[in-house]
Amino acid sequence: MIDDQLKNIAEQAKIDLKECLNQNDILNIRAKYLGKKSLVNSLYSQLRNLPEEERPSFGKKVNELRNELERMIDEKEKELKLQIVNAYDSVQANDLTLPGVYFPPGSLHPLTIIRRKMEDIFISLGFQIAEGPDIEDEYHNFDALNTPEDHPSRNLADTFYLDNGYLLRTQTSTVQVRTMESYPPPIYIISPGRCYRNDKPDPSHSPVFHQVEGLVVDKGISMADLKDTLQFFAKAMFGPEVKSRIRPHFFPFTEPSAEMDISCVSCQGKGCRICKNSGWLELAGAGMVDPSVLEMMGIDDQIYNGYAFGIGIERIAMLKYNIPDMRILYENDVRMLRQFSRELI
Amino acid sequence: MIVSTRWLSKYIDLPETLEELVQTLTFTGIEVEAIQEISALPETVVTARILNSEKIPGTEHLQVCIIDYGKEPLQVVCGAPNCRSGLITAFAQVGSKLPEMEIKKTIIHSVESAGMLCSEKELGISDNHSGIIELPPETPVGISINEIYELPDNILELEITPNRPDLLGYIGIARDLAASLNKRLKLPSINNYPGEEDSSLHLTLILQEPQKCPRYTARIIDGISVKESPLWLKNALIKSGLRPINNIVDITNYVMLETGQPLHAFDYHKLLPINQEDPHPAIIVRRAKAAEEFIALDGNKYLLDEEDLVIADGQRPSALAGIIGGKDTAISNHTTTIVLESANFSPSTIRKSSLRHKISTDSSYRFERHLSPAYLEMVSNRALELIINVAGGRVCNELYDAYPVPQKPLFLAVRPSRFEELIGYKLDASLINNYLQSLGFQYILCGLWQKEPINEYKLLPQAMELDLETSDNQIFFENPQLALYFLVPSYRVDITREADIIEELARLDGFDKIPQKKLIHPIMDWHAHHIKRKIEDYFRQSGFYEMINPSFIDPIKLEYLGEDKAELEKKLIRIVNPQSSNQSAMRTTMLPQLLDNLLYNLNHSERNLKLMEMGKLYWKDGNKNCETLHLTALMTGLNNLDHWKVKNEPIDLYNVKGVIEGLLDQLSITIDETKNVHHPWLVESDNLAYFCNNHLCASFGRLKAKTAERFNIDIITLKQDIWVLDFKVNTLIELTRTNKIEFSPLPKFPAVIRDISFLINFSVPYADIVKSIKLVEPYLIQDVKIFDEYRGKGVPDGWHSISLHIILQDYEKTLTEERVGQVIDSVIKMLENTWQIKMR
Ligand SMILES: [Zn+2]
Repeated sequence: MIDDQLKNIAEQAKIDLKECLNQNDILNIRAKYLGKKSLVNSLYSQLRNLPEEERPSFGKKVNELRNELERMIDEKEKELKLQIVNAYDSVQANDLTLPGVYFPPGSLHPLTIIRRKMEDIFISLGFQIAEGPDIEDEYHNFDALNTPEDHPSRNLADTFYLDNGYLLRTQTSTVQVRTMESYPPPIYIISPGRCYRNDKPDPSHSPVFHQVEGLVVDKGISMADLKDTLQFFAKAMFGPEVKSRIRPHFFPFTEPSAEMDISCVSCQGKGCRICKNSGWLELAGAGMVDPSVLEMMGIDDQIYNGYAFGIGIERIAMLKYNIPDMRILYENDVRMLRQFSRELI
Repeated sequence: MIVSTRWLSKYIDLPETLEELVQTLTFTGIEVEAIQEISALPETVVTARILNSEKIPGTEHLQVCIIDYGKEPLQVVCGAPNCRSGLITAFAQVGSKLPEMEIKKTIIHSVESAGMLCSEKELGISDNHSGIIELPPETPVGISINEIYELPDNILELEITPNRPDLLGYIGIARDLAASLNKRLKLPSINNYPGEEDSSLHLTLILQEPQKCPRYTARIIDGISVKESPLWLKNALIKSGLRPINNIVDITNYVMLETGQPLHAFDYHKLLPINQEDPHPAIIVRRAKAAEEFIALDGNKYLLDEEDLVIADGQRPSALAGIIGGKDTAISNHTTTIVLESANFSPSTIRKSSLRHKISTDSSYRFERHLSPAYLEMVSNRALELIINVAGGRVCNELYDAYPVPQKPLFLAVRPSRFEELIGYKLDASLINNYLQSLGFQYILCGLWQKEPINEYKLLPQAMELDLETSDNQIFFENPQLALYFLVPSYRVDITREADIIEELARLDGFDKIPQKKLIHPIMDWHAHHIKRKIEDYFRQSGFYEMINPSFIDPIKLEYLGEDKAELEKKLIRIVNPQSSNQSAMRTTMLPQLLDNLLYNLNHSERNLKLMEMGKLYWKDGNKNCETLHLTALMTGLNNLDHWKVKNEPIDLYNVKGVIEGLLDQLSITIDETKNVHHPWLVESDNLAYFCNNHLCASFGRLKAKTAERFNIDIITLKQDIWVLDFKVNTLIELTRTNKIEFSPLPKFPAVIRDISFLINFSVPYADIVKSIKLVEPYLIQDVKIFDEYRGKGVPDGWHSISLHIILQDYEKTLTEERVGQVIDSVIKMLENTWQIKMR
C-alpha cells in the first residue's frame, strides 16, 4: 500500500511537470513535492507511526522517491531554461533598413574651426597663445609698431575711432607689443583675435575680421626660420602638396617685409578664376621684426632678432572651404553651418 | 646591490652625513632605492667572558654565571642552551636600553642577576635567537659590542643600471663616488702569489670554448682548514644580504662583492682526472653533452644540453659555468685543498642557461651584464690573500691562465668643444682629464679627433705639445677638432664612443651645472584655452549652431530690449566714424544680434533652432574700457530632430535648465544660490540666475512676446517659446581655475537604493526636499534623485506626487537591512513633520 502511495506521488509529479510552462510553475511544483508542507515531507511524518522494524526500509524508499523527484524537477527546469535561451537567440522580425536613432550635433562656425586648426598647428611648433583687448590706444596699435605719424592707415577712412579717444585694433600685432612689454625673449607666440578696419563689406572685405598673428623673438632667428614656419603651416592646413613662396612687400613693422603665397588650392597652380590665373594665392604678410620695434621694447637688437606674420582667418576659411564671398560667413545661416558639423575640429 | 656604508668607507672617505652620501649617489646616477639605518647599541653592551656557570637546581636550563666584563666580576642568570664557562659573549649591563627591553637588576629563582647575556636577536643585530652570541676566544673582554659588529651602520639598496656591471662591486661604487667627490680611492694592496715551484699538486686546464669563455684562470691552494668565518667576514656578508657558509665560500663571496667579479672554489681532490695518462685533477671548459646530468649545490638535478657551458672535471660537470657550482666538488668541512676559479664568461651564454634552467645567482647576475676579462688575476690574488689569512694554506704553482685572445686596449678621443655642443657649457680640459683619471681612464695625448675607436698604440694620431694643467682652454674652442685621447679602463665595458665619455663627464660634473638656455615664460593661459574649447564643444555636441556677429550694435535695439536709456549712456562706447547708425556702438549684449540671426533662419524655414555665440562684450566703466567674454544662446522649437522612434517635444523649461546645468556640471561648478534675474525682456515667472560664491555664472529665461515683436518675431503666431541663455565665460574660467580631478578609492561595500513616493504641496520646492533629506544622514545618503513627478487624477489640487531614489552608501561597512530601514523611516518622519506629506 505504501509502495502504491509512493508510486502515485511519482506519477502525479510526472503529470504536473508535463504541464509546467515556466520558472514560476517549477517553483510551485518544487514546493508541492519537496517543500516544508510537501507530500514527501508528510511521508516522513508517517515514519514515526510505523513499527520500529519497518522504519528503515520505509525511510529508504521515501529518500529514493525524494531523490527521484529532485532529479525530475531539476531536469525539467534545465529543459525550460534551454527553451527560454533558444527562444531568445532565435530570429526576430526586424526591418534592418529603418534608420537608427542618432541625434546630430550642431556645428561650430567655420571661422572657429579654422582658428582652432591654426592654434593647434602653431602650438605643435612650440608657439603659445597670447590674447589682448580689441579696444586699443594709438600707441599699441600704431606708434609701437613703427607706423609713421602720417601713415594712411591712421585715417578715419581706415581705422575705427571710439568716442573716448581709443580705437579698435587694426591688427592683433598689438598683442605682440603687449607681450614684448611684459616678457623678455625668447618669445614664441600667436595671437588670434578680432580686428577692425573701415572697409565696406564686399566679397573679400569685412569691417570686422579675424587674424592670427605670430611673433618670434630669440637669438639666431633668420628669415629662413620664418619661411620654414609659414611653409609648415601651409602644408598642415592645405595638404603636403601645397607649394609656397615669399616675395618682397612693405609693412612698417617689419624689415625686410614679405608676402607669402601658396600654390592655388583650386587649380593646383595651373591658373583659374580664384587665383586670377596667376596660379598663386596670397596667404600671409610677414617679415623680420624691425630693429626699431625691438629697440622700443627694450630688447637688444644686436642679441635678439625675430620674425612676425599675420594670417587672415576668413581668407583661410574661404580658400579651404571654397567659400566665394566673405559675407556668407557673417550671415549665420544654419544651412551653411550644418555643412561644417562633420569637420574634424 | 646592497651596500653597507661601513664597508664602503674602507675604499673612500665618505661624506659626513648620510643625506650627503645619498645625494652624491643620486646625482652620480646611482639611485638609492631604500635606506636601512642600523643604530648603535648602548655602550653598556660589552664583551664578557663566562668564568663559571652552574645549573640552578630545580630549573630546566637556567644557569647562574660569574662573568668578567673588564670590571668587577658579576653574577648573571642565563637560560641559553649554549651558555658555558669560557665562552666570550655579549653582556648588557644593568640600565642598558635594548631594542625591545631595558635591563634591570632582577631575582630569578631566588638568584640575583645583574644584567643579561644576549643573543643577536635581543640586540637587534639579526634574527638569530638560537643562543647567546659566541665570539672568538681571542676577543678581548670589556669592549663595546658596537666595535665588534661595526655599528652603527647604514644599509643602502642601490639600483645599478644594466649598462654598469662595474658598479656591482664596492670598489666600483667607491670609484664613481671618488670621481664625483674628488677624493682618493683607497684600494686594498694586493700581493702577487708566485706559488711554490716544487709543488706536487697539478691541474690539467683545457679551455675548449673560447667564444663562451674568453678567459679562465685557476689557482691551487693546499693545506687550508675549512671552518666558520671570522665575525668581520660574516658581518660583512650579512649586511650585504648574503648568508655566511664557510670561510672559503664566504671569501669568494666577499671578493665578488668587493670587486664585482664572481669566483668559485672547487675541492681539488674531488676533481677527477681525464684518464690514467693524465692523472692530475682536470678542469675542462666545454659545452655540456646532450642530456648530461648535473647536480648543483642547491641539491637539484639539472638536465643540460649542448647550449650550456660547463666547467667539467675529467668525467662530469662540476659547475654550470658562471651560474652555480656542483654538489660533488663543493667545499666541505673536510676539504684541505681547493682550486680557485676566476674566469670570464660571455653574457649571452650565461643569460640563456640561466633562463633555461631558471637559476639566477649573484654570479649569473653579474656575468649576464658583461664583465671584463682583464682583472681575473688581480681578483684571484685578492682572494688568495684573504684565504691565507683566514683559512691558512699555501699557494701551489703559478696561475693557470687560459686566455687565447687577450682583450685589446681601447683608445677614445673626446673633444671639449663637443662637450659644449652636447651638454651646453664649457668644461676645462684639465677637469676632463681629472674626472676621467679618477674613473680609471689613462690620458694618452692631445691630437686631432678621430671618430673610430683605436685599438693599437701605433694608430694614435700625432701628439700636440700641450700641458693640460697650464694651457689656455680656449685653444679647444678655437680648434673644435682638437681632442684628448684616453685609454678606457677595461672594466668599463659600457664605454665605446665619445658620447659615452661625455655622458660620464656631465654626470660627474653634475647635471645641476647644465645651464638653462632658454627661459621660456608661460605666457599662455592654458586653463582658459581648455575651458573655452570645452564650452564650444559642449554646445556643438548639444545641437547648437555657432553664430559669429560683428562687435557693433545698433543702440536703438538696446532700447527695444527695454534697457534704461540713462544707464545705457553710461556704459555704451560709441564709434566716432561708424559705417552706419545701426553699427554705431560696441555691443553690450549679443541678444539683439542673435534675435536677428533667429529671424533670418526662421525666414529660411528653419523652425527648430539652437543658436549660440561666444564673444566679447564691450562697455565703459568711467574711463576704463571693459571687455568680457560671454556666451549667449537661443533655443526654440522642437528639442530633437524628427525621428520615427523618438517622440519629439517642444523645448521646455527643463530642457533649457538641462543645457545650463549640464555645462556647469561638466565644469565642476557647484551652484549655491539661484534667484530671479528681472530682465525687462524675460517673462517674470520663467527665469533664473545661477550663482557660485556670489558670482553670477549663468542665467536663462523665456523671451517676452512683446520684446520678440520689436525684433519682428511673432511668438504668438509662431507658437514656439523662445528661450534665452546667458553665460559669463570669464567667471566660469576663474571659478574653475584651481579645480582638479582626484581619484577617490572605490567603495568596498555596495550602495543601496530605496525608492519613496509621496504627495506634497506644490509650493514646496524640490530643491528644499532634496536638501533636507540629505541632512537626515549626511554620511549615508549620498544622493537623492527624482524619477517621477505626477499631477492630476487621484492627486488633490495644489498637490503633486514625487517619487525619489534615495541612494545610501556606507564607506566603512555593509549597510544592514535594519539600518537602511531606520534611515528611510527618519526621512519619512522628517518629511511628514516638515511639510505634512502623504506617503503613497
Ligand atoms: Zn587657381
